[in-house]
Amino acid sequence: MLAATGRLIIQACEEAGRTLRLLVAALLYIRVIHRSHKQLVRQLDHAGFGSIVVLSLVAGLTGMILAMQMGTELERYGALDSLGAIIGATFCREMGPIWAAIIVLARVGSSMAAELGTMVVNEEVEALKIMSIDPVRYLAMPRIVALIIAMPLLTTMADVVGIAGGAFVSHSLYGLPYDKFILSAQSLLTSTDFFSGLFKSMVFAAIIGAVACDRGLHTKGGAEGVGKATTVSVMLNVLFVLVGDYMLTAIIQFLTRAEII
Amino acid sequence: MTDSQQPLAKEWTKEEMEQAVDMPPVPEDKEIFVRIRNLHKRFGPRHILRGIDLDVYKGETLVVLGVSGSGKSTFFKHLMGTHTIDEGTVEVGGRHLDHLSTDEWGAYRQDLGVIFQMAALLGSLTVLENVGLPLIEVERAPTEEIRERVIEALHRVFLPAEEILSLRPDELSGGMRKRVGIARAIIQNPRLILYDEPTTGLDPVTVSGVNELTLELQKTLGVTSLVITHDMEAAFTIADHIAFLYNGRIVAYGTVDEIRANEHPVLRQLLTGSTTGPLTEDYVK
Ligand SMILES: Nc1ncnc2c1ncn2[C@@H]1O[C@H](COP(=O)(O)OP(=O)(O)OP(=O)(O)O)[C@@H](O)[C@H]1O
Ligand SMILES: [Mg+2]
Repeated sequence: MLAATGRLIIQACEEAGRTLRLLVAALLYIRVIHRSHKQLVRQLDHAGFGSIVVLSLVAGLTGMILAMQMGTELERYGALDSLGAIIGATFCREMGPIWAAIIVLARVGSSMAAELGTMVVNEEVEALKIMSIDPVRYLAMPRIVALIIAMPLLTTMADVVGIAGGAFVSHSLYGLPYDKFILSAQSLLTSTDFFSGLFKSMVFAAIIGAVACDRGLHTKGGAEGVGKATTVSVMLNVLFVLVGDYMLTAIIQFLTRAEII
Repeated sequence: MTDSQQPLAKEWTKEEMEQAVDMPPVPEDKEIFVRIRNLHKRFGPRHILRGIDLDVYKGETLVVLGVSGSGKSTFFKHLMGTHTIDEGTVEVGGRHLDHLSTDEWGAYRQDLGVIFQMAALLGSLTVLENVGLPLIEVERAPTEEIRERVIEALHRVFLPAEEILSLRPDELSGGMRKRVGIARAIIQNPRLILYDEPTTGLDPVTVSGVNELTLELQKTLGVTSLVITHDMEAAFTIADHIAFLYNGRIVAYGTVDEIRANEHPVLRQLLTGSTTGPLTEDYVK
């Protein structure tokens, strides 16, 4: 029992190390990114544009629900004016980056793992190696870079749509004028809030891309293996993104309090 | 000589059937290009390759025969360097594959062409990009040159190049995919070509075409080829030597005539395609 647990932990550490090595290798290959521009464009299209509709829907609805929930409480205390500040801060600091990450890891991360896994099963990855083409450069790097580029943009969009959703509900349900909502948001929000959110989202992108590519490229055992790689990549990504979020938030708060940023 | 009087009456024990054959001494006019000694491979508890000894002479075509699941593709992957060698040595053109640096692998693979059992074309690329992939990514040749060389390679495998250049693999038939895979393997004029079932699923005319291509490449470019095939007729047409892989070892080896006359009961059953013999007895047991 103890031995089995130990083995599991060792295996988990080995796999995490492998994923990290892949990420570093992929980031080092960025210096030859000009050779992958076609791939990059295709991945950007897939990762970025493909996620816009779902993410807008999710972020907008979240903003509306938040406004509704908060609105009743704040109205009772006569603090409806601060609704804009609360929703703005929630979105820029947390909701925007997290929703973008969740949607991207579910939509794009899983399909990356499945696609690369299928390529392994069809011996396509082996064929690349025979031609002296490193799968990390040719397959993983453009995918990870595309995510790192697309994610802050998606996050910004989620921020905007979420805040707009909140403003809409505040206006139609609680009669709060739009300009008051915006003013209240501006009074609390700093550029640090916004940019730290974007920074977080880029870290999430690197995590999602590295985990998905690593799982896909290490698929074993036919079609079943592809399914497993996909599921495991989604599970791990949810976990890593949330753990990463906790740690990044702690670091950012520490830095702001120490007035370093 | 009781043996030669009643050659087929001899009962083979399991040990005798699994006994590896020694490679014959190298003829004076021949040179070894691929030399494999005591190659082992295990997947977990399963011991798939159990001590392969094999020589392939330079400029010759060696056909590997063996029943499905006997480890032929696994054996090939050691020559590609995509499986690590558990035990033993693999030497190709003077290079020891068990300790090559990354650069040496690069040089080795420039000289290597592989035809995969399932073609292994990249689904997101067109035929032009697939066949030209090593030129685009490794040689970084100019676009015009790539196009010309791709068309030439496609013509060599009897494909209507101009028509299919911009198609994707899923828009081709299985047989066409296979030939596109062959075109990709030969585009860099390799010195060693590995064919994993190149003719499975092709029509008879294309099969003859692929066989002729193998012979032609051998004649014009002096390539050394290893071919896995279940097509006995093709094997006898293209082979200089034939090796028979059984239970992880090479248990029969020789020229086409020697293999035709070989008495190994499993080989005999495979050659005749008979349902009675040691192979099917195994299943019944
Ligand atoms: N990566 C792997 N992991 C575990 N087992 C494997 C792996 N690759 C092959 N095997 C096993 O090794 C054995 C030989 O497989 P291989 O693909 O080499 O057979 P083959 O001789 O090429 O068969 P076929 O004629 O059907 O192509 C099979 O039993 C297979 O299950
Ligand atoms: Mg095979």
